[in-house]
Amino acid sequence: MRFEVASVDSLIIYFGDKISQDIAKEVRGAFFALKAKSFFLELIPSYTSLLVKYDFVKYSYDDMVELIQKELECVNEVEIESREVKLPVYYGLEVGLDLKSMAEIKGLSVEEIVSLHVKKEYFVYAIGFAPGFAYMGEVDSKIATPRLANPRAKIPKGSVGIADAQTAIYPKESPGGWNIIGRTPIEMFSKDYEDFSYFKVGDRVKFEPISKESFIELGGKI
Amino acid sequence: MSGFEVLNGGVLSTIQDLGRVGLAHSGISEAGVLDELSYGYLCKLLENDFGANALEIAFGGLKLRVKGEVVFALSGATVEIKLNNKPIKMYKTYNAKDGDVLEVGFVTSGARVYLGVKGGFEVEQEFGSSSVSLKEGIGGRAIKRGDFLEFKPSRSSYSCYLKKEFQPKFETPIELRVVKAYQWDMFEDSQKEKFFNNTYEVTNQNDRMGYRLKGEKVFPLSGGIISEGIAYGAIQIPPHGEPIILLKERQTIGGYAKIGSVIRVDCFKLAQAKQGDKVKFRLVELAEAQKSCKKFNNFFSQKVIR
Repeated sequence: MRFEVASVDSLIIYFGDKISQDIAKEVRGAFFALKAKSFFLELIPSYTSLLVKYDFVKYSYDDMVELIQKELECVNEVEIESREVKLPVYYGLEVGLDLKSMAEIKGLSVEEIVSLHVKKEYFVYAIGFAPGFAYMGEVDSKIATPRLANPRAKIPKGSVGIADAQTAIYPKESPGGWNIIGRTPIEMFSKDYEDFSYFKVGDRVKFEPISKESFIELGGKI
Repeated sequence: MSGFEVLNGGVLSTIQDLGRVGLAHSGISEAGVLDELSYGYLCKLLENDFGANALEIAFGGLKLRVKGEVVFALSGATVEIKLNNKPIKMYKTYNAKDGDVLEVGFVTSGARVYLGVKGGFEVEQEFGSSSVSLKEGIGGRAIKRGDFLEFKPSRSSYSCYLKKEFQPKFETPIELRVVKAYQWDMFEDSQKEKFFNNTYEVTNQNDRMGYRLKGEKVFPLSGGIISEGIAYGAIQIPPHGEPIILLKERQTIGGYAKIGSVIRVDCFKLAQAKQGDKVKFRLVELAEAQKSCKKFNNFFSQKVIR
């Protein structure tokens, strides 16, 4: 664990310097442990780090570091259950905007791309960038694809994308540069969800291919 | 119903308060007033709590008609304001009555004007705040012609005024105090020298999310970093080498190296800068920075004694 100043009222804890599920699990453990306490104003877990905003009027940086170290001493022994979440996705060409070009670049068929995406279980490393946007990894190296050189001005809500080894869903229509391979009818961000996000850090996610009919039945829009 | 009828919404006017804290782990940005200093004085003048909402008017161009009666005041960027075609003062409370027309011209110094009413505007909160987050579409949108900004009627038998000597001034070059933070060690001394010894200029890419500057380029030892949580005031150095200072509507996580962070109270000054304004950075120790910020908090967060 390494502590650094992040700003006048925040610090950041680094748990490692490589992306791995082991480190991500440590981050997650620390996040839930600190979240249960009331004296942190803001906590942002990400791949290898946890940002902590604190009340600098009450606590000095050194006080805070000491306090956090104490809080986290026992965390490593606590195994926090991680959820298994399934997400229905329609992988049709009319919603998988980059399926064809990816197939060409990768020398695979569209079906192969889809089955490689569906085959793996993904780990939610971070929620951020936009409300409900979950960074998941890692996709099979055969379908890992860099971001588009020219990002799209509009990516439809629910679009499932790939950027390098990461995969994610756009919670609302927005600009973006990820390679789009399908679309989910499920809301990623809603006031009805705990913490407003469909996914939580540490979730294990499997994508389930569905037909166009089921997609529309579940509220999806083409 | 009492309120302002919007005759002209201006360039970009949004309702803001102190924003949303504690939701960044779901990807929701902080939002809130960009210049808490001007806003803080406005709260004091109106005897509102520090945290009451106000209208943040970027660059001006606003015209409102009063329905009912209200005590209001304006603070922030220097701008000509008129009540029924007669010039009135900034940093002073006024009574307005049914049919009065309030006009805010275009800013001549600074960038953002704050309009507050006694007790705040009656707008619905979303996720615990009435702040509009434009990019996320949370808390509503910028006001436009035909909107109605509701408030509870108010009246006062006295007027409050902030002495000229205390009113914030917007002088350039703007000095921003910086604390060592994040990837400070990823920048060599030669890069740090360049960063702190040169003057930068505000580009046209400046908004509620952040300010991109141009000037001497600086580079970290290696390019990107693993995405991590971004604090208010963080100074990102993207591959192009020119700093971007992230403000209230910043994204919650990002993958660019950061050379340090501008301290809170100086972010307020930056938020009043316009394209072409000059900016200089000065390194300060964390303890000194926290002292300055504490002073600000102690002064403005005191409860109003009624």
